[in-house]
Amino acid sequence: MHPHTLTDAAFAALGAGRSSAPVHAELRRAQLGKHLLLLSRIARIDPSLVATGPDTQTEQHAAVLTDPMTGLWATTTLAALRAGRAPESPGYLGGRLAEAPRRTITASHRGLTATLRIEDTSPLRARLGLRPADRLTDGELAHWQACLSDAWPVLVDRHRTDAETIAGMLGWIIPVLPDSSVRGISATSADAFGAVALSTPADGRSLAVALVHEAQHNVLNAVQYLFDLHRTPDARGYSPWRADPRPASGILHGTYAYLALTRFWRTEFRHADDDAVAAFEFARWRDAVAGSAAEMLDSGVLTTAGARFVGALRDEADGWRADTVPPPIARLAAEANLDHRLRWRLRNLAVHPGDAHALAAAWRHAAPAPAMPEAGLTTGRGRVLDHSTRLDLVHRSLRTPGSATDEATMPPGERAYLAGDLDAAAVAFADRIRADATDHEAWTGLALTTSDPLLTDRVEIVAAAYRETAEPRLDPRAFAAWLAG
Amino acid sequence: MDDGSTIEDAPPWRSAMVDVSGMSLAELARIAPEDDSALGVALRRLLADLDRPVEPVAGFNSAL
Repeated sequence: MHPHTLTDAAFAALGAGRSSAPVHAELRRAQLGKHLLLLSRIARIDPSLVATGPDTQTEQHAAVLTDPMTGLWATTTLAALRAGRAPESPGYLGGRLAEAPRRTITASHRGLTATLRIEDTSPLRARLGLRPADRLTDGELAHWQACLSDAWPVLVDRHRTDAETIAGMLGWIIPVLPDSSVRGISATSADAFGAVALSTPADGRSLAVALVHEAQHNVLNAVQYLFDLHRTPDARGYSPWRADPRPASGILHGTYAYLALTRFWRTEFRHADDDAVAAFEFARWRDAVAGSAAEMLDSGVLTTAGARFVGALRDEADGWRADTVPPPIARLAAEANLDHRLRWRLRNLAVHPGDAHALAAAWRHAAPAPAMPEAGLTTGRGRVLDHSTRLDLVHRSLRTPGSATDEATMPPGERAYLAGDLDAAAVAFADRIRADATDHEAWTGLALTTSDPLLTDRVEIVAAAYRETAEPRLDPRAFAAWLAG
Repeated sequence: MDDGSTIEDAPPWRSAMVDVSGMSLAELARIAPEDDSALGVALRRLLADLDRPVEPVAGFNSAL
């Protein structure tokens, strides 16, 4: 019996998001061992739960052992038994062995095959945190197959490393219901290695992006099973791809998934340099990934292994910094990142009421602005779906130039912002704030268009103190200028 | 598997988890968590992970 071991080169390549078939095999072996260990603990507490269960002797039994639903069942069953509760689905293992094989979608191209089983019946599939779809109709299954058939040649031809990771690490798709506030939704769980919960993709490219993204989460889940990457995995902070504060381990998950997506969009942009969406996505996520990796490395939350892993990740992203993107698109990408960070600050950082009151009182008395207070992280409110009208408009304008500015219902300021008329946009955003000082998108729009350092660094303080003045005619730009001294 | 940033002669990364993929359930079930072996250490790490469950990682595709 030997420990799971990776060479430093293999470990660094994993961190860089360029894992290989032998490493995939090692990670799969480790996950099989994890399932065996979980089942062995269940057997010690209640042997009847695994008496009809699988062993490694036959192909059918081995398939059940590596099944992500078995991982979910074993994890929840063992947790229940250790807590003295009766486990759900006590007959799971025997039932799973007797079940008919799941339907599959599959595609092959240039010697590489992806075969994805569709899990659309097991009650356990809800444990990935998203609402499962009903069993797919034949027509729906045909759509999934068509998307994979379109996606796979592109992945193999242009994104071979990611295609190999998908083929080696993903085996199951759990169709889930879409969410009306986002275009696509997906999830993975460390307890369901090899599975991805995914809403119906619009087309092959959407599926390709989702598979690249979710395969990375599966790889990282498997790495984290073997190695502790964080000293303090629960410390919460900013993540460029979520609206809510995320634990350190979640920030790494996002960074790692978006590393692969950045490479995907870089390659797509190099393949078609008139693809404005690809250029925007590449430029945006390149900066977000590099910045997030650098913050992790500086924060002290990583173990030695974590620092090696994230160091390789950062080096990979830094290697793309020399790539040029058309300046107007690069500007939109940089501002999309800043916009996200500012919205996050407004949503998640709370200013003490006494501090906001003191600032507003000084303003009323025409006194010099007091020293800026510190804002604190609010208590968790769970997962928040991020939605930005501005980002939607940017995407629309990139896909079809001119289309977004034709929108009759566009909020004030957005048309001027998209057109690059920043002075007019700033006036409109200031007017919106006068009308509603809780309009977060107006505050972030004002920060983007004025580039006022106080607004870009401490927008939550400016907004909280401005609201406290209760002066509806007050120009927020003048107030920010006074605060800056 | 060389990514160009390899540290020359760096030692390999050894996990606390041992490879049990070739063992049977019956063999594994005989091991107590208190066991002082490498397998006992791996079991305790697994059970510690079980005591701090992590939420599924959800992603949202906004670009397409």
